[in-house]
Amino acid sequence: MQVFKAMFKVMRSRLPSAMIYVVCFVVISAIIANASTNDNKFEAKRLDISIFDEDDTPESHALAEIIKKSNDIVEIEKDKDTILDSLYYRRIDYALIINKGYADKLRAGETAELFSSYHLDESFSVVYMGQFLDEYVSTVKAYLNMGKSFDEAAASAEQALSQNAKVNMLSRIDKGGNSHFSVDFAGYFQYMPYILISIIISVVSLVLVTMNRKDIRFRTNCSCLKESKYTAQLFIGSFVFVFFIWLVFMIFGAILNREMYTGRAWLAVLNSFIFAIVVATMAVLVASFEPKDNVLNLITQVLGLGMSFFCGIFIPVEVLGDGVLSAARFLPAYWYVKANNMIADITPYSFSEVVECYLIQLGFAAAMIIITLLVRKVKYSGAAISTAVKKKALTH
Amino acid sequence: MENTVIKINNLVKRYGDLIALDHLELEIKQGEIFGLLGPNGSGKTTTINCLLSLLAFDKGDIEIFGKKMTPVSYDIKKEIGVIMQNVTVFDELTVYENIDYFCGLYINDKAKRKQYVEDAIKFVELGDFRKFYPKKLSGGLLRRLNIACGIAHKPKLIILDEPTVAVDPQSRNRILEGIQELNKNGATVIYTSHYMEEVEQICTRIAIMDKGKKIAEGTKDELKRMIKNTETITIEILDIPENILKEISGLPHVYDTDLSNGKLTVCCSGGKHNLTRVLDVLQRNELSFGRVYTELPTLNDVFLEITGTALRDKEE
Repeated sequence: MQVFKAMFKVMRSRLPSAMIYVVCFVVISAIIANASTNDNKFEAKRLDISIFDEDDTPESHALAEIIKKSNDIVEIEKDKDTILDSLYYRRIDYALIINKGYADKLRAGETAELFSSYHLDESFSVVYMGQFLDEYVSTVKAYLNMGKSFDEAAASAEQALSQNAKVNMLSRIDKGGNSHFSVDFAGYFQYMPYILISIIISVVSLVLVTMNRKDIRFRTNCSCLKESKYTAQLFIGSFVFVFFIWLVFMIFGAILNREMYTGRAWLAVLNSFIFAIVVATMAVLVASFEPKDNVLNLITQVLGLGMSFFCGIFIPVEVLGDGVLSAARFLPAYWYVKANNMIADITPYSFSEVVECYLIQLGFAAAMIIITLLVRKVKYSGAAISTAVKKKALTH
Repeated sequence: MENTVIKINNLVKRYGDLIALDHLELEIKQGEIFGLLGPNGSGKTTTINCLLSLLAFDKGDIEIFGKKMTPVSYDIKKEIGVIMQNVTVFDELTVYENIDYFCGLYINDKAKRKQYVEDAIKFVELGDFRKFYPKKLSGGLLRRLNIACGIAHKPKLIILDEPTVAVDPQSRNRILEGIQELNKNGATVIYTSHYMEEVEQICTRIAIMDKGKKIAEGTKDELKRMIKNTETITIEILDIPENILKEISGLPHVYDTDLSNGKLTVCCSGGKHNLTRVLDVLQRNELSFGRVYTELPTLNDVFLEITGTALRDKEE
């Protein structure tokens, strides 16, 4: 297994750059996963509010008490500049002034000019507080119209508004049965093609270019190692590397998701494995052209970024134009992303369509193997070698 | 009785209209250091490539160790060590790893291979550089590494294709000594070069090639005997009267004289005391002269006389 071992020794030179890709991807995925985990725990937002009660009646006190329960009250001086400064420096989100005559107007069923406020334009707090005050006033008014006393109406309104709806975040919703493939997890798999392309092409192509260098190949052909054994060892070496890289990402995926793959997630695992195979065949094809190191880097970036932007890896498929998507169909990453989106229920799920995506990707792999064989046949045919030797002979 | 290691019969290799090898016949015996001498493009490397079945040929056949050589003659290839014209090593592997890789193409036994690699490192004196990457080595050390990679598996037949190109004199001498040592240890060597001094120095038998043909073959003495010139006398002298030059031309064994650039060149064919006779003519006529030196014929003279072109002219 000399050739196999030599391949991994040659790989050493590329491992640092490959490791940078792996580490970056894993770190970014970990950050996203943690951020997503926090989003999963829903908690109502509490605003920092200053209340200036100019009415100073039991009714206005009742309102202030209700606001206090779901928000944090910040005491500041009742001065316009102080209020505006506090808003500017985000010490408060909202300054509410309960206007004089609030209680009388409310009892009379009037809702105009009950409150004044200072706030930042178009901010979330404006909408939130505006909605809350409207809801409170209309609820109290409704109870008063029903003939309840103000105290009863205020108590009923408080009770009605304190009802909280149960919130489940979409990313943690089970997809039914034992399937478990969250939107967050789908995101991890969605970005994986870029990393797989970057690592596999840059490393495997480089190694194959080195191992198939004409002088090395000639020198090896002089030895008693059979050509078939040489090729077989190159194949095994490439496969082992691709499998190892894929496996690393699968393990990290499980760690980041904090659970083993179950149900539909296995379909995504299979999808990524098929894509890794496709990328490996792509790397073999690239290597057959024997690009120089800098050209290889360029090819890697063009393929990685090109497919990422055209096939919905970096930009969601939904926002890509029809023209782009039509062109993307001729790239394997498009079918990977399509399958991944179906598995994640981002687009309607159909098992047969997922399998279809797998088969199309494998079709790309088969096409690349055929093209590679053709390229090699032309490059390494007796005629090509003879031409090269003849050119050399003529130059002397 | 000497055993034939390589037998090339009527070998023809064409590249379209270009005939790279023109009915080449060669026979190399066991224990020889056989030199293939010729200018660039004369067909030396093509011969080697055909010999190793790296190139298909149009006509003829090649036998090595008494068996027909084909691309799948792995039992024959096992006994051949090849040192290519270009340094063929992995830049990504250290000196030790490179030798181990190429040795491993022939030797599977790990312990045996380790010993062989150590022997090869010792042989080319790269012990201090075993952990170096090729890019850190000088041209001479790289050539030595190339040789170590080719001979580590202790082959019976070693083919060296211009192994000293672009090598400093010190490294060149070390390489040539090494080749002679390998030969003493029992290996048959084929050595191609366009440096005639090297070929003269180490080869026991030489074939001179030009335009894909073998134009002469034999030991260096046999080759030199093939030509008329046996001695060239050069005398630094400003001018010689016509009659004296005529007298020198008429001396026994002198077949050519030339006076140019303040030098008198006298070419002799056989005989003894040629220099004494020429100097005697000059002294008798009271002609003063400067440095005097004589040269025995070189392989370049052989090549010049057979082809009408000097080997060195062809290089340029």
